[in-house]
Amino acid sequence: MSQVDLPVTAEPPQATGTAAWWRRLLRDPMAVLALLVLAGISLAALFAPWLAPYDPYLNSRAIMQPPAWSDMGTTEYLLGTDAQGRDVLSRVLYGTRLTLLIGLAGAGFGGGLGALLGLVAAFSPRLDGPIMRIADMMLSLPAILLGLAIVAAVGQSLGAIILALAIASIPDCARIARGVGTSIMRQEFIEAGQALGLRNRTIFVRYLLRNALSSLLVYISMRFGQVILIGAALSFLGLGVRPPISELGMMAAQGRDVFLFAPHISVIPSLTIFVIVLAANVTGDALRDVLDPRMRSR
Amino acid sequence: MTSKRNRLALATGALLCGATFAAAQNVTIVRELESNNYDPQKTSALAAAEVLYMLGDTLVAMEPDLKTLVPGLAESWDISQDGLTYTFTLRDDVSFCDGKPFTAADAAYSLNRLADPETQSPAGWRAGKVESITATDDTTLVYQLQEPYSELLFQLTQSFATIIDRDNVAALGDNFGVTGLNTTGPFCWGEWKPRDEMVLTRHEGYTWGPSVYENTGPAQVETITWEIVPEANTRVTALLTGQADLSRSIPYIAFERFRSIPEFQINKSDIAAWTEYFGMKMDRPLMQDIAVRKAMNLAFNQAAMVEDIYYDEVIPATTYMSTTTRDWNPDADPLVADYDVEAAKTMLDEAGWIAGDDGIREKDGMRLAPLFYAFTGSAPQARVEYLQAEMRKIGIDIQIDSFDPTIVWSKLATQEYDMYQMGFAYMSAGDGLNLYCRSENMPPPNRMNWDDAETDASLDAAMRATDDEMRALETGEVIMKVSEAAVWIPIYHEPISIVQSSRLKPVMPHSIQGTGFYKGLDIAVAE
Repeated sequence: MSQVDLPVTAEPPQATGTAAWWRRLLRDPMAVLALLVLAGISLAALFAPWLAPYDPYLNSRAIMQPPAWSDMGTTEYLLGTDAQGRDVLSRVLYGTRLTLLIGLAGAGFGGGLGALLGLVAAFSPRLDGPIMRIADMMLSLPAILLGLAIVAAVGQSLGAIILALAIASIPDCARIARGVGTSIMRQEFIEAGQALGLRNRTIFVRYLLRNALSSLLVYISMRFGQVILIGAALSFLGLGVRPPISELGMMAAQGRDVFLFAPHISVIPSLTIFVIVLAANVTGDALRDVLDPRMRSR
Repeated sequence: MTSKRNRLALATGALLCGATFAAAQNVTIVRELESNNYDPQKTSALAAAEVLYMLGDTLVAMEPDLKTLVPGLAESWDISQDGLTYTFTLRDDVSFCDGKPFTAADAAYSLNRLADPETQSPAGWRAGKVESITATDDTTLVYQLQEPYSELLFQLTQSFATIIDRDNVAALGDNFGVTGLNTTGPFCWGEWKPRDEMVLTRHEGYTWGPSVYENTGPAQVETITWEIVPEANTRVTALLTGQADLSRSIPYIAFERFRSIPEFQINKSDIAAWTEYFGMKMDRPLMQDIAVRKAMNLAFNQAAMVEDIYYDEVIPATTYMSTTTRDWNPDADPLVADYDVEAAKTMLDEAGWIAGDDGIREKDGMRLAPLFYAFTGSAPQARVEYLQAEMRKIGIDIQIDSFDPTIVWSKLATQEYDMYQMGFAYMSAGDGLNLYCRSENMPPPNRMNWDDAETDASLDAAMRATDDEMRALETGEVIMKVSEAAVWIPIYHEPISIVQSSRLKPVMPHSIQGTGFYKGLDIAVAE
């Protein structure tokens, strides 16, 4: 029997409208605050070349100046300078840019690919076993170790760190997507679609992917925070970008040996990472609350 | 009742006094790095040397000036007219930690082991071209050379030449220097927990220490514990809280704080026999141009870096080695260019290196962006990032690839990079030049690929020289050559700085091999 595209007569439940969940999101004050923080940080990072008071790579003789609010601080360097005399504020602005890029690219590529593989596994019983066994193998490999191996193989670069984080994100997302996909595949509308003779591609895209999308987005948004933390840890270990490019984890590492004497060099980038990850996690939680029908009904 | 209380108080007091006395007899030194073994002939690690000097003895000992030789296990020595035969008369009152008497046979075995190619000692070349090393009786050792070797006595003061017990080597096999080491030094092997601590115990019968010290033995403390503390902040805290007594690996940023606390003192050596430098591979396309190498020297401000990053605790290096070094050639002093950014820019302009849109220079389609292989770790990273920032000001974009200590040495043995960073200890100018400038030592340790027949000939002539003047002359020729070619950017010369608790008497810094404490015979609790 040949498969034909027929008008769908048994429509699956559609995701709720964007406006509706957006309204629900805005009713949560914590979510609004987290979104504002994320938006503010993202804008500051985006406009770093215009906002940064100094060239982030330019050293000076003003070594380890404390932040402006300290006794010895000056308004010339609001967040102080590092051990090379570089302006910490400028480096944090540029560093945040890179940290966000690493988080977005790592969680986006890895999460996207993992989600796709998980849904394929849920959709095709034939591919389920092989895909999930590979995911299991990847899960047993710590992200830091994977990062070390990739950097050793391809050298120290932004691409290497994103690749490591993306690969590390695949198995987690694949597992979640398979779970979500399997429960969707048990729904009657899938059976109805198949009974109507819809193409596999149509069922996969219109029925499975569309209905799994909200759950997957929530997971990927929460994964974003984890990716930033792992990326910062890799940079802290010296596996991240090349100097003099600033990245928050790397900046925290650079202040490690002078922590007793100039704690701001490590504390300021570490706090920035903390705020970004916290805001991302709160946003992820809020997204789950508004997108998950079971949470909504509580 | 009162009498019972008094007795209790006395007993408690006695216990406390006993505990304090016991603690006083144990000294803890914190350090950053660990060695992978303590086999004297098979390791060149600084971390091994600083322990080996306390564990063992050498035939000849060295004063802190690194110029004056004094008797060690050898009471005296005689050199033949042709410079080929060294006859050592050894002490007859020396014994190993296990009580076995020391004889010339042990010395012959140890030095033959150093020279034997089968040992694969990283310091084998330091033994010279050996014809034979033989014990003619229990107290006489004859060291026969194929050709004169003017550095021999100096080399025999180093940790590689530590005298060991051949029975101990046979008994321990591959575990020699790992699970134990029977030696004649002021301290004996206690317990080694790799990457944690090395405990040394006093060699009770030791009385043959070199005249470098007022106390020639036994050692004045019962145990010395070398603790590995990789984090600089933790080392500082360990000293401040009394968990450690002394260290020579305290970051310079902490010195001001230690100087302000009466319970601590900092002792610095009079000489600076450790030099850090940036090296350039002469035959790489970007580094072939002497204008590039000279411009980089012009644009690097050693004085500012030392003031800003090293708080003036080290000496800005405007020479390839410290000018107080034996056989240094003062004619080379002005050869490292003074800081002048504008002159550096002009030099590059004239050499055809033109700045592109992003400010980085190019020539014949080559971007002036040398690849730099660096060590991870905050101190080396700080140095290389400083260089990078300075070079950007003249349009050179240094690309830094950093590697963990476990892989950096293998990366530095390749020919795939343009620049690197290294530090080294030396006893004489010839010591450093033989290591780094001999063509047979390419690629490591001659990582700049300095391949020059005249240099080899001069170094050979200096080695064979039988008088000090000739040796200094030949060595001086090489110093001039490499300085003129601008193969390095010297960074700083570093004296040894020991930070110590005033619970101890002042400890004299000793620069031999960059170690700091030498035999530790002056480590004592203050009264």
